[in-house]
Amino acid sequence: MEYEAAVKGPLKLKGTANKDIQKKLKKKNKEKNAASLKVDQLADIKESELKEISDPLKFPDYFGVRKLFRIKDLFDARIHYGHKDGTLDPNMKPYIFGSRLGHLIFDLDKTAEMLQDALNFTAHIAYRGGIILFVSHCPQHTLTVENAAKQAGEYAHAREWDFHIFTNSEKVYNGVTRLPDLVILLSTLNPQMQEHTAVKDAAKMCIPTIGIVDSNSNPNLITYPIPGNDDSPAAVQLYCNLFRDAILLGKSKKPVEVY
Amino acid sequence: MAVLRELVVFPSKCFRGVRSYFFSAPLFQNGSLKLNESVSKDGHALDFEQSDTKKMSKAMKSYMERAKIHDNFIKQQLHEYNIGKRHLANMMGKDPEFFTQTDVDEAIRYLFPSGLFDPRARPMMKHPDEIYPKRKAAEFDVNGRPYHSLFYTSKPNYYTLMHDLAVKFKQLDRHEDKIISRGIQNQKPTELFLFGSEWIPKQKIENVLLESLTDAQYVNLIKTFERFSQHPYSVIEKDFIMQFRRQLAAQVEIQQVPELMRDESGRPYMTYNARRKTSNATVKVIGQGTGVISINETDIHFFQREQDKKQIIFPLQFSDMLGKVDVVATVDGCGTSAQSGAIRLGISMCLRSFVNAETIERMRLAGLLSFDPRTRERKKPGQAGARKKFTWKKR
Repeated sequence: MEYEAAVKGPLKLKGTANKDIQKKLKKKNKEKNAASLKVDQLADIKESELKEISDPLKFPDYFGVRKLFRIKDLFDARIHYGHKDGTLDPNMKPYIFGSRLGHLIFDLDKTAEMLQDALNFTAHIAYRGGIILFVSHCPQHTLTVENAAKQAGEYAHAREWDFHIFTNSEKVYNGVTRLPDLVILLSTLNPQMQEHTAVKDAAKMCIPTIGIVDSNSNPNLITYPIPGNDDSPAAVQLYCNLFRDAILLGKSKKPVEVY
Repeated sequence: MAVLRELVVFPSKCFRGVRSYFFSAPLFQNGSLKLNESVSKDGHALDFEQSDTKKMSKAMKSYMERAKIHDNFIKQQLHEYNIGKRHLANMMGKDPEFFTQTDVDEAIRYLFPSGLFDPRARPMMKHPDEIYPKRKAAEFDVNGRPYHSLFYTSKPNYYTLMHDLAVKFKQLDRHEDKIISRGIQNQKPTELFLFGSEWIPKQKIENVLLESLTDAQYVNLIKTFERFSQHPYSVIEKDFIMQFRRQLAAQVEIQQVPELMRDESGRPYMTYNARRKTSNATVKVIGQGTGVISINETDIHFFQREQDKKQIIFPLQFSDMLGKVDVVATVDGCGTSAQSGAIRLGISMCLRSFVNAETIERMRLAGLLSFDPRTRERKKPGQAGARKKFTWKKR
C-alpha cells in the first residue's frame, strides 16, 4: 500500500500529512520569500523578527529534500539487496524486511525515512557553510564519490585512510586545520571487512556522521545511519547523486546570518 | 619539469596564497545584515583587514603566522646571498654588477677546495630558491575551507593525478566502444612505443607534486600508468604518458671510428696499440696492399704454432680484407698466445677505418673489437697456486 502511494506521488513526511499544517507551511514560505534580500527593507525590520520568520530549523523540510527521490528509485538502484543470511549484524535486524533464497532484503520504507532525515541534515549543514567529507574505501567507487564531491563543491576521501587524519590533524596537515563538520560514509566497511576508522574517529572528534550501513555493518556509532546496499555501483551512484543534490539545495538558499 | 607542473590540475585558487583573503571576503559578497559591523559610527568604512581578522578561522590565522615567518626567513636569506655575492666579487677582483652564478661557483671552488666525492657535500652558495624547498601556497580560505576537493587525503596532488588517470582510462574505453560500434574492426590502432625510456623516479615525481610519497604509493602510481599505457588506444594520450617517462642513455656508446691517415706514397693506413696480458703490440694496417704480413720484421712464421697464425688471419678473413691490406706489427712481452692475441686486436681495430658500419657491427658481435681483460691470477698464501689447494688431509 505504501509502495503504491509512493508510486503515485512524492513521499510525504509523517508530520506534513495534515492539510492544515501544510497550509501553515505555505504561509510561512510566502512570508519568508517576501522578507528576503532587499537591504533597505531589511534595515527597517528588527533582527529578532527576521530570525523568527526565516529560521530554517523551524521547518521539517526547509530545502525540500523529500522531492529528490521515490521508493521506486531506491528499488531500481538495488538498494534493497543485503548480503547473505549468515552475515547479518544483529543491530541491523530492525531494518531488514526478511530474506529470500538466503539473501536479506531491506525494508525500503524505513530506508526512505532515514534517508530523508540524512538528506535534510546534509542540506542544513551545507546551508550553514559546513565542510562535508565524503568517505569511502571501496576502490570500485572512488571515481563516483570524488566526482560527486567535486560537483557539490565539497570534499572527498575515497582512498586508503590514514589513521591520524582526524585525531592528529596538526601533524598530518602541517598546522591547525578545520576538520569536517559532517562525514558521509558511502560504505562503513573497509576492504578487509572491518569497520572503517572514520566511524570511530568522527565519533571521537564529535563530528556527526551519515553512513550507508549494509546488512553486515554495525550502525551504532553512526549519527544518521541509512540501511541499504553499499556494494552495487548503481546504488552508490544514486546515493552520491542524492547527497550532491541535497548539498546544492542547501547552498542555493542564501543565509540571512553568516556563521 | 616545468611542463610536468602544468600537468597536475591545480585549481587556480591554490596559488592565490595569502593575499587572496584581501580580495574575496565572503562577508561583503551577499546583502548581509552585518552592515553595522562594517560601517563605523562616523559613517566611514572600517579598516578592511581589521574586520576580516575578527572572522578569520584559527586555521587561517596559524597559517598566516607560519607564512610570515617563512617569508621573512627567505627574505633574509636572499639579502645575505646578494651581499655575499658582492663580497665574493670583490675578493676575486671582478665587477660585482656582472657577477653570475657560474662565477660564484668558480670562486667557491677556488676559496674552499674540497676533496669530497659527492658534489652535494661540497661547499656551495646558491640562490635561496634553489636550496630551500618551495612551500605549497595557502590551501584554505578565510573560513578555513580548503580550496582543493581532495585536501583531506593529505596528498591532494597525488590523488588528483590518480583521479585523472582513471578519467582518461574511461575516455579511452568510450573511444574504443565507438570504434567497435562503427564496425571498423580491421583497423588496428598504432601501438604506443615505450622502448628506450623508463618511468621517472620517485624523487622527480615528488618534486613535481610537491608532496612526499611512500614507496607503496609510487609503485601504485607506476602500476596504474603501466596499465594505462597497455590500453589498445593509449596512443591518443601519448603526450601525457611521455611526460612521465625519461629517455634511457644509449647502452652501447657509439665509438668514433678514426679517419684513415695517408703516408708519403698516398696509401691510406691506420695504427693501433693493442694489449693482451702483458704484451704490447703496435699494429699498422696499410690499404691498397697485397696481403703482406710483417711481425717484428719477420714473416707470419714468427709464430710457430698454427693456432697463433690463425688468430692473426681471422680478422682479415672475417672482414674480407685478406689480400687487400698489408700488416706491419711489432710485439713484445709475455708469450706467443698473448702476443698473437694483441696483434689480432690491433688488426681488428685498424680495420674499422677500412670497412663499413655493418661489418664493424658484425666484428663487434664476433668479439674481435673487445679488449681481453684476463690476466694471470695471483697466488694466494696457504694455497699452492691461484686456485690449487694443498693436499687435504682428513686428520
